[in-house]
Order: sequence, then structure tokens, then C-alpha cells
Amino acid sequence: MSSLPKEVRSWIYDFFSNERFAAYLMIDTRQCIEAKGGNLDFYGLSSLRLGESVAQQLEFMEGLLPCPELPFHMPMMELPGGHVADLHFFGDGDSVWLVFLDATPERDHQQRLQQKAYEMTLLQERERQLNAKLQSTNEALRESQEGLSREYRRAESLLLNILPASIAERLKADEQIADNHAEVSVLFADIVGFTERARSVGATTTLAILNYFFRAADLLSEQHGCEKIKTIGDCVMAVAGLPVARPDHAHALAHYALELREAARCERFAGEPLSLRIGIHSGPIVAGVIGKRRFVYDLWGDTVNLAARIQKAAEPDEIRISDATHQLLGPEFACEPLGETELRGTGRVRMWRL
Amino acid sequence: MLQKKICMLGGFAVGKTSLVRRFVQSIFSENYLTTVGVKIDKKSVAFPDKTVDLILWDLAGEDDIGSFRVSYVRGATGLVLVADGTRPATLAVALTLRERCEAEFGAMPFILLFNKSDLTDRWAVPEGEIDELKQRGWQIYLTSALSGEHVDDAFRQLASMVAN
Repeated sequence: MSSLPKEVRSWIYDFFSNERFAAYLMIDTRQCIEAKGGNLDFYGLSSLRLGESVAQQLEFMEGLLPCPELPFHMPMMELPGGHVADLHFFGDGDSVWLVFLDATPERDHQQRLQQKAYEMTLLQERERQLNAKLQSTNEALRESQEGLSREYRRAESLLLNILPASIAERLKADEQIADNHAEVSVLFADIVGFTERARSVGATTTLAILNYFFRAADLLSEQHGCEKIKTIGDCVMAVAGLPVARPDHAHALAHYALELREAARCERFAGEPLSLRIGIHSGPIVAGVIGKRRFVYDLWGDTVNLAARIQKAAEPDEIRISDATHQLLGPEFACEPLGETELRGTGRVRMWRL
Repeated sequence: MLQKKICMLGGFAVGKTSLVRRFVQSIFSENYLTTVGVKIDKKSVAFPDKTVDLILWDLAGEDDIGSFRVSYVRGATGLVLVADGTRPATLAVALTLRERCEAEFGAMPFILLFNKSDLTDRWAVPEGEIDELKQRGWQIYLTSALSGEHVDDAFRQLASMVAN
């Protein structure tokens, strides 16, 4: 300081004492206030008592003394009066000086800058959080949608296993399904000597035979545009002309019957070729879905009953058709007349061998 | 008279000033006003056998830990570490500040507050993580300066820790 000219020293003195409201305390070894002065009033500290503990009068002094590393600077402390001071501690023999310099304008300026910076940072953090949340919500939504559509496809394929596609569609639209079909052909086919042979070969082989037979029935119905309606024990029921009408329903079902019989012959059941008894009749039926939770698509009417009776009357390996079906087939198929036969519940019926 | 210096430590905008205001004056303001430097408050906590005056140093929060002035902590006998339960990264800030204080002045009692517990829909600290910290024997509180939840409990706990 001594190297500075008197004018400069004097200016510095005036600056700190007036512009920065310099104030001071002198603290003795007992940590009591030994002397005080300057602009203490500015900081609301004019009532400090000499000779008494500084920590009991100035709370921020608690624990600070003795301070092993003097000089010591503590910036921007807000004091009870509302003004902010930079605190400078320095030693002088056994005493410690504490100088207060006003830092309120600097604090306010820094606070304005920091407020903007932190608010901005908080907004950015919040934006990142919201984006992350949005992303994970989207992810979860996509996953549940995928799961849903997987389930839907599964349900769909299960439904199609038991119902014709157009019927399944209508059922999903909550329609009641009971349709009159004036012109269809109905086929029944079962395995000759099934019960006895099943007993001789055991359950596993029998199941394999049934599986083969029903699979063939499924496959052929797809090929010929027929519908396999159901199986009853070893018996298959199939129909042509459903659910979409077709004029050649008898032809389609006749081809179906011939190929089904051929397919059966390729398989052996208890040492002999698998042989079927097949019956076909044509006429009007009612088709519909019954049940609420377990759907069954089925056919009803005299046509169905008669077709079943004709099948029961058929010989092993024979495809027996009613007169009505025969007329529909016309000369295209070679048929052999069987004469009139008495059928239970129907009376005498004229039938043909395909 | 038993008088103890306590420092509030934590990242910026975790609620240090709001917690002190809630504890000392029982008020809360929705407006965020950042702290620069330090402000001192005092509150007495009474126990059956003694009364402790807590001298609370509400220090400026930091977004850059490097700029933290550890010298403010000189003479402190306890720390209140504050994290924001909706901003998980603030936990690491509070713990790092504690390490810096301990490196300078040695170990001292502390409590750890996860503040803003009223913001349940934005809460981002898993319960498992808090349990894990409790396993270390730490005193941990989920506080809300807005509602006052657990604020008095927490400061009272620290007062009893530093009074002994």
C-alpha cells in the first residue's frame, strides 16, 4: 500500500468506506468483541455489545473461531438487515479483525443471472424427463398393441378352425346366424368296422388313423370348396353349396367323395386298407350358429337326416347317393342304380352307387 | 446456551431455502428464487433436558460442484443433505458435497432429505434405492416443504444428533 501515492490511497479509503459501506469488528482471544466501527448501522449491527461473546450476538460466527487459516474470506452473506456483505477475516497478533464490505448489488446482479440460468436448466431437465416418459409410454403402448393383435390373430385362427370364414365375420359383427339354403349337398362318411378294429389295434393307432382321415377330409374340403362341418366319432359330415351358394354343389361333393375314398385306401387300418362308407343327399337345409361361448356351426333339416341314413345304408367302400343328387350330377358321373330301398323313418327311397 | 451450526447442502432448486422457511417460519412459496451466497436462520429445538439453537446456513445450490465454496462449512456440526425426489441426479450432487465437506472438516452428523414428496406423479427415486441407503444406517426423510410433511421430524432428528 505504501507504494501507492497518497491520492490513490485516499480514494481507495473513501471508496470502501462510503461506496462499500465498510464496517469492522475486532475480536479478542476470548472471542468477545473488543472494538467495532464503520458503517455497522448499514448492516443492522450497531447494537453489538463490546466485551461480550461475538457468537452469541452474531449467529453466523458460531463455530468459525478460532480460525486456523487467516486471512479468510466469506463472500455474500445476507445479514439480518437485508444487506449482503463480503466478510474478510484477518489476524493481528492475538486478535482477529472482521471487515464487512457491501456486496448487495453484486449479489442481486448474480442472482438475476443465476435465476435465468437455473430456470432454463430446470426447463430443459423437465423436457428431457417428459420426453423420456413419452417415449416409454409409446413403447408400452406399442407392445400392448402388438400383444393385442397377436391375441386377435390367434382368436381369429381358432375361430376359423371351427367356423367358415364368412360365418365367422358375421358372428364377430354380433349377427344371429340362421340361414336357409335351398340347394346344398350333404355328405356323411365313416370308417368301416371302426369299433372292432379300434379295439384290436389300441388307442394310439386308432387316434393316428382318425387323425389321418379327418386331415384328409379337411384338406379335400379346402381343395373342392366344400365345408367340413363336424366329426361325430369316426364319422365326417361335409357340405357343398355353403355358406356361398354354387350351382355345382353336387359335382363338388361327388369329387370330394371320390378323392376321400381314394385317400382312405392309401392307409391301412388293422392290416387292411382303410375303407369308408359314404352317403350323399342334396336339398334344402338350415345352417346356423348355436351357442354363445362355444360356437357350433351346424346344419339342420330332412336333407341332413336323409344323407345320414343313406350313408348308414352304404356298403363298405361304396359312395351312395340319393336320387336328388343323381339328377343334379347328370350324365357326367357313371352311376349304378340300386333300386328302391326302405330307409328308417323315411320310407322307400331310390338310391344310386357313384 | 447450546448453539449449533448446520449447513444445508444440495444441488440447485432442490428446496433447501424452502425447507428452512417451512421449518423456521412455517410458510411456503411456489415461486422459485435462487439463493446466491448464504443466508442464516435460527430456530430453537426443545428437548426435555435441553434446548438446541440450530443456526441454519442456507447455502447456494450448485449446478457445478467445482464452484462450491467449502469454506462456508467451517465450524458446522451437522449437515442437511437435500436431494430432489423428482430429479434423481440430485442425490449424487448432495453426496458429493458431503464428501467434500468431510474431506475438509472431518465426518459430522447428517440427515438426507428427498424433498418434494408432494409431487407423487413425478417422483423418480425407487423405494429400493432409499431402503438401500437406510441400510447404511443413514437418517433419511421424504419431505415436502409445500405440505410440511416430515420437515420438523427431520430437523429435530438432526438437532438430537448434534446436541450429544
